[in-house]
Formats: sequence, C-alpha cells, structure tokens
Amino acid sequence: MSLQKILLNFEPRPENLLAVLKKTQKENKYIGKKECEVIADYFSLPLARVYSFASFFDGIRTKKDDKKIIKICSGGPCLSENSKKVARQIEMFLGVEVGNDIHSKYRLEYMSCLGLCDRGPIVEIEGNIFERVKPETVDDILKNYL
Amino acid sequence: MDILTKNWDKIDPLRIDSYTRTGGYGALRKAIREMDPEKVVAEIKMSGLRGRGGAGFPTGEKWGMAAKTPAKEKYFICNLDESEPGVHKDRAIAEKNPHQIIEGILIGAAAVGAKKAFIYINGNYQKQKEILEIALEQAREKELVGKSVMGSAFKVEIVIFEGAGAYICGEETALLSSIEGKRGEPRLKPPYPPVAGLFGKPTIVNNAETLANIPFIIKQGAKTFSQIGSSASPGTKLFVLEGAVRNRGIHEAPLGITAQELIYNSLYGGGMASGKEFWFAQIGGASGRLAPAGKLDQSLSYGPGEFPLGCGSILVVDKSADIKDLLFSWADFFHRESCGKCLPCREGTYRLWEIAKRIKNNDVSKRDKENIEEILWTLSNTTFCPLGNFAAVAWKDAMRMFSDKIFN
Repeated sequence: MSLQKILLNFEPRPENLLAVLKKTQKENKYIGKKECEVIADYFSLPLARVYSFASFFDGIRTKKDDKKIIKICSGGPCLSENSKKVARQIEMFLGVEVGNDIHSKYRLEYMSCLGLCDRGPIVEIEGNIFERVKPETVDDILKNYL
Repeated sequence: MDILTKNWDKIDPLRIDSYTRTGGYGALRKAIREMDPEKVVAEIKMSGLRGRGGAGFPTGEKWGMAAKTPAKEKYFICNLDESEPGVHKDRAIAEKNPHQIIEGILIGAAAVGAKKAFIYINGNYQKQKEILEIALEQAREKELVGKSVMGSAFKVEIVIFEGAGAYICGEETALLSSIEGKRGEPRLKPPYPPVAGLFGKPTIVNNAETLANIPFIIKQGAKTFSQIGSSASPGTKLFVLEGAVRNRGIHEAPLGITAQELIYNSLYGGGMASGKEFWFAQIGGASGRLAPAGKLDQSLSYGPGEFPLGCGSILVVDKSADIKDLLFSWADFFHRESCGKCLPCREGTYRLWEIAKRIKNNDVSKRDKENIEEILWTLSNTTFCPLGNFAAVAWKDAMRMFSDKIFN
C-alpha cells in the first residue's frame, strides 16, 4: 500500500499520528525522511515535529536497515530464567556480541520487557517472538529464521 | 476474597454474554440508573481505592477534580501501557476479563462527564488488543458504548490507542503527549491532568487494574470494599511473583499482606523453587527496593512504608544469582527507556549503564566507584520525573548491601 493510500484511512488529527507511523512502518519497514515529509504535510505539522516524534519510539525505525535483527530481553525475570546463557549461545552462533554493531548481516541487541515475564527467556527474531528459549534450543530457532 | 480474578478462566473473554451472566454491567446499570455522578464519585472516594499503577493516588480524589472542573470536553483514559520488567498483571486482566476494564471505564467516564475514552495499550500486547477490540464491538452492539448508553442521555466512545514501545509513556503526562502526537516526555505538574490534560482538557488517567475494581465497588458498596485489605489502602491487589519461587505468576491477595506470606504461603508463591536458596526480593518491579530475608515481614500497601509496593511485582532472587548481572539488567532497561528530556536522567542512566558493563566484565576502576555514588545521588535528587529516581533505587540498595560482591 502506498503512503498516500494509508493516509486516506486516517483523519489528519494529532491522535492519529502514531497509528499512521505504525501502519506506514508495517508496509515500508521504516519511516525515512521522505515519508516524514509526506506525513507532516498531510497533518499540517512541522517536519521537525513529525521526525522527532517518529524517532522517539523504540517501535519506530527512522533508518533503512537490511540487517536481520535479533533481540533478547535484559529484564530481571528473564535473567532468573537463564537469559544470560541464551544470550551467550546466540553470540557464539552469530559470531557477534550483544550491542556490537559490526556484523554485516545480523544485529544482536538487548530489548526492554515485552510483558511476557512468565514465559521467559524471551527472544525476538525479525519481529517473531520466542518464549521459554533454552541455550540448547536456540541454535535450531536461529537456523530456521536466518 | 477475590475481586479481580474471581471469574478468570470461568468466563469466555470473547463473549459479552458470558460476562453479563455473572452480573457483569450490573454496576454500570446501577451507576447510570440509580446514582447521579456525584454519588458515584463519592462512593469511590469513600471506598479508599488507590491507583494500582504504582503511585497509589486516591482514585476518587482524581475523579472529583475532573468532575468539578467545568469544560465542554473531557477525556477518560485507561492506562494499559505496562512495560516494567516483571509486570504483566494488566495484560492478564485484558486477556481474561476485558469487560471488567470496559465497565470500569464506562462508570468513570459517566462520573466525570467524559464523552471520549481511550484505552492506551502497550504496543506489544497485540493479542490483548484484539480481545479488547472484540469486547468493545460487542459492547457497542449491546448499546453499552455509543450514543446512548443503556438508553440514557450518557454517550461515550471508547477507542484503543496503541503505543510503540516506550516505558515512559506509562507516566500519565508523557502518555498524554504521545496521544497528542508529541514526543512522550513528561510535563511539568501542576496543572494536573484532571484539570488540564489531553489537548488541555480535563482528563482522567487510570491504571487498568484500578478500573477493574470499579464495578465491584459500585455493586457491593464502598463499605464492603473498604473492609478488605489494609485500612490505609483497602482492596486486593494483583501481585506478580517472578524468579526463584515455586508458583510464578499472578496472585490476587489483600493489600497489607507481607512479602513473607506472598512468597511462602501455599496459596501464593508456595515457597522457594526446589534447590533454590533465598537471597533477597525486589519489591515493585525493576524500580523496586531490595528486601533481605529479615525485612520480608513488612506489610505491603499504598502509603508510607519502607518498601513501596509500586505495581505489585516481586522478583525473588536466589543465592545462585550474580548481582553484577542484575545491576546491568536494571541499568540497561532505564538507560534505554530514559526519554532524554532532562540531562541528569539522560546522562546519568547512560553513564550508569556504561559502568554496569564494566562491572559485569570485572573491569571497574576506582574512578567508576566514586562516580557511582555521584550518579546515584544525581538521579535520585535532580531529575525531572520519577524515572530517574527509579533507575537509582535498586542500585543504591545493592551498593549498600552487596558492595563486597560487586567490587571483588
């Protein structure tokens, strides 16, 4: 769906701005400067306001990123379920450390709590959420998704 | 006494009839047909209900402020943006009994005179969002939401607003900013939202668990409610037990209960998980204080106390845990979630996170040690909103209690 078509579904009121950004990202993977310009124009808002708003949220990307993104929860409850060992296993499998952005294909990051603490450790691979991940099973999960 | 979890797993969350059959929406009928708005506000005031999101502000006081502020438009917002590590109680309510929240919103909106309500839901709660959408659709069909609620003159529309992964948006003024299409940064108070909130109009922001209590209070009366729990903060609370405890998950218990009982009573935690030895408990989520074994006997309620209850999450840490990992976990969360509005929090949480990494790698310097104290003081005393204070709470306790293990 083109951005113009997405915009047709929303009235240009400020409370729709975040919904428009989320919908646009779903179609476009990220919200770049060009998209921000079109959206700002539609909402009659300064470009700076739209861009600063978009860049505020963890859930909105403002840059194109071709790397596959793997995230692991750094929260206390996941930690108590051995997320540290899971993280180490992922690091070994991918050959990149958490937070170290040097791999050409993958990016491994810590993420904030998703509210699934009763099912930890939680790993997210390309937007897919995996619960109760164990160090022994994580290689298979990664092989399937990468 | 169960108020919130009573019908969990007994009713079908996807069918409104299943809720009405248990007496659901009877409180709304009573509030609209038999009580005037002032009476509803007075009843909630009298019940002593306090906000379950963490701050524990008296709900009735809040409603009273918005009700008596004259305005053509008012808003009512249900805060379902919970995103603190270890907290997933609101998710459970939305999943298991969504109409309980909706009924609370409707009674509240009628009491303060709001015609538009939002459910601000955590962007990660996709399944719960769908459940709420279905529930709202069914409530509209039954004319419980819309132009004439139960055939009365009261009209209200409820829409779901989805967040996009920002912990700070659980803070009420930051939440309002993000709905307005502005960065989710907290605002200076006063004015408080019940006086000037969303788009400058009087606005109530209530936690989802708080609202789930409303139908019970209206139906059974403030007096019945106020006799449950502790006198300073009546009612029950959803406690979330995580970590090295046998029965992890959500447990409803009267306020005033001790952490000791929550962890060891077979009704709740059922004791330590097999093979685990208790070290300390973190009470109130990632922003909570650390309680050693000798301090578990203090009652948990809203009001003054050594261990603020917060949102009711308890992480039980056993002796096999590494405090360095936990320090990193706390610092990692708050440095990512600091909104960047004020410098002490933005820089403080970042520097603390850097030091946490060095502690984890056993690479900590003398200068780091000195700086920790400085940073924690700054976070505790100079930040714009409580997020900075939160970031320092567990660290301060850890430095005091376990410095030998941190700097070995």
